[in-house]
Amino acid sequence: MCNCDNTYIPIPMKVEKILIENPDRSLRTYDLSFVNEEDREKFTYMPGQFCEFSILGKGESPFGIASSPTEEGLKFTVSRTGSVTNEIHYLEEGDIVGIRGPMGNWYPLEKLVGKDVVIVGGGFAFTTLRSMIVYMLENRDDYGKITVIYGARHPDLFIFKEELKEWDKRDDIILHLTVDKPVKGWNKLCGFVPTITKDVKPDPTSWCIVCGPPIMIKFTLPVLLEIGFAHNKIYTSLERRMKCGIGKCGRCGIGSKYVCIDGPVFSYEELKTIPDAF
Amino acid sequence: MIKIKKTELNKFIDFLMKDYDVYSPADVGKKAAFKKINSAFEIRHDLTNTHLSPKDVFFPQSEVIFKYSEDGLNVPNRDEKPIAVWGMRNCDTSSLMMLNKVFGEAHQMPDKEMYKDPYWKMKYDNCLIFNQACNEPLSTCFCNWFDGSPFAKKGSDVFVVDTGDHYILEGISDKGKTFLTNYKKGEGTTKDDEEKIAELKKTAESYMPDVVKIKPLYDKMNKIWDEPIWEEISAKCINCGACTFVCPTCHCFDVSDEGKGKKGKRIRLWDSCMFQIFTREASGHNPRGLSTQRVRQRIMHKYNYFMDNYEQHLCTGCGRCVQVCPVNLDIREVIKQILDYKSIKNEDN
Repeated sequence: MCNCDNTYIPIPMKVEKILIENPDRSLRTYDLSFVNEEDREKFTYMPGQFCEFSILGKGESPFGIASSPTEEGLKFTVSRTGSVTNEIHYLEEGDIVGIRGPMGNWYPLEKLVGKDVVIVGGGFAFTTLRSMIVYMLENRDDYGKITVIYGARHPDLFIFKEELKEWDKRDDIILHLTVDKPVKGWNKLCGFVPTITKDVKPDPTSWCIVCGPPIMIKFTLPVLLEIGFAHNKIYTSLERRMKCGIGKCGRCGIGSKYVCIDGPVFSYEELKTIPDAF
Repeated sequence: MIKIKKTELNKFIDFLMKDYDVYSPADVGKKAAFKKINSAFEIRHDLTNTHLSPKDVFFPQSEVIFKYSEDGLNVPNRDEKPIAVWGMRNCDTSSLMMLNKVFGEAHQMPDKEMYKDPYWKMKYDNCLIFNQACNEPLSTCFCNWFDGSPFAKKGSDVFVVDTGDHYILEGISDKGKTFLTNYKKGEGTTKDDEEKIAELKKTAESYMPDVVKIKPLYDKMNKIWDEPIWEEISAKCINCGACTFVCPTCHCFDVSDEGKGKKGKRIRLWDSCMFQIFTREASGHNPRGLSTQRVRQRIMHKYNYFMDNYEQHLCTGCGRCVQVCPVNLDIREVIKQILDYKSIKNEDN
């Protein structure tokens, strides 16, 4: 074997805590801790990066890191969708799982210093956005106004509900929560994310980070352009089926870029010329 | 440069086997592919191109990444001898150089060791390549479109010419030169041999098709990626993926676990961008759900995307995809079709 690192080998992590996020139990958040001290020291990441979450015998799937580098361990929120996520949902506290990463690039936090930031998110894609918000709140003086627009199909389907409540109480972050259709007892906004974005009409001189299901991204981008955001100040994080995570296996290719190594974070400037990017 | 009698090839191969695991064109079922051989008598000499490409030697169709059990992970190591490949052709040596950029050099990420592929490197890094000149190129060959030629030496450690009764061996890399120096049983070459090689080269080159200048292809493709030409090109493709499996440069793979309980293995397997499931996500969303999108992906990857990342085309003109396609979707015709296509956008075409 060559002397280079073998990136295909997962590191072991222990499931410390599992939080069931919603009544239908389809979304769960996992807090993981490093089993080996040297892995913990080596693992440095930024908000927006992702990992391959591995269950031996079942396979691995990519998930955005929901924790912030300012926190201990790693956090992932997993929706029960396919065979690997099914298996992840069977995990219990104390189980050992495999993690490969961190992979990919991150949100342009360096460029956002001193700037107003608008965050637009949808559904359970809010994971890396949580990472980013926690990171910015931890370094609050580095950033200007923070506005968050977050939509879910139903109030139950928001993730990190406790934190959303806390953020809502703060005056240094403005939160617009919306659901698709009116629901009894829901006294916040109602409507799809693109429509709400149009209503909120964020200041187009700020920087905007959009992350959500492809259809949400597709319909939110024109709204942001209409409001007048510059193409190079809109960033989004893409999701693709992935295997290797290191730019070789070919499936996450969009144009000449690979979502796993050139992304997952791309500016609209980069994406607008790429076939089938969203 | 040395020459060996064909009748003594077995001695040469035996000498090679002392230090190397030797692979060569050989029978694999009803087809010919590169396979580990135990003697020179297994070598197939009657083919210009094997049915399957030699990428399998360094990037096997299936390969264990690790085994796992209650004792932990077990990563396979290669403690056999280094690999030597006899009877490779220039289109294939070129393809290995391309694959090495992806797997071995991590060209896109030169500073990052984590992007190198250890499974490729443990086989490729110390290999010895015998690149044999093509005396009789096939009607499907078009390596001359990609700076190749039947007698090109690029990517060889040793360049081999079949002159009828003899093989003439020329050391190209230092590794190749050293190996030939150590083989004491070769004869010296004469002026007649050189003349013979020149004559064979001239004949071989006369078999090649007219060169199509593919340089404009890159810009053209950038301009027309969203135009209806892709529907025309892909109309008859049945997405069988045969082209991607025989292609010496296609390298997409799947990673999959096989096991029961606490024991099993993680393996990687060739995959194909032609398959719908290749990009289909668990949610059902598929960014390349249409055949047209997948055919465009393959052609664009070969002649445009790879250029962006590695400044060359991901095709060597070996012609295997032309031979194997069940609906006669000829990549040479596709290239010409794109070059001749008039963009529907009102720009200068």
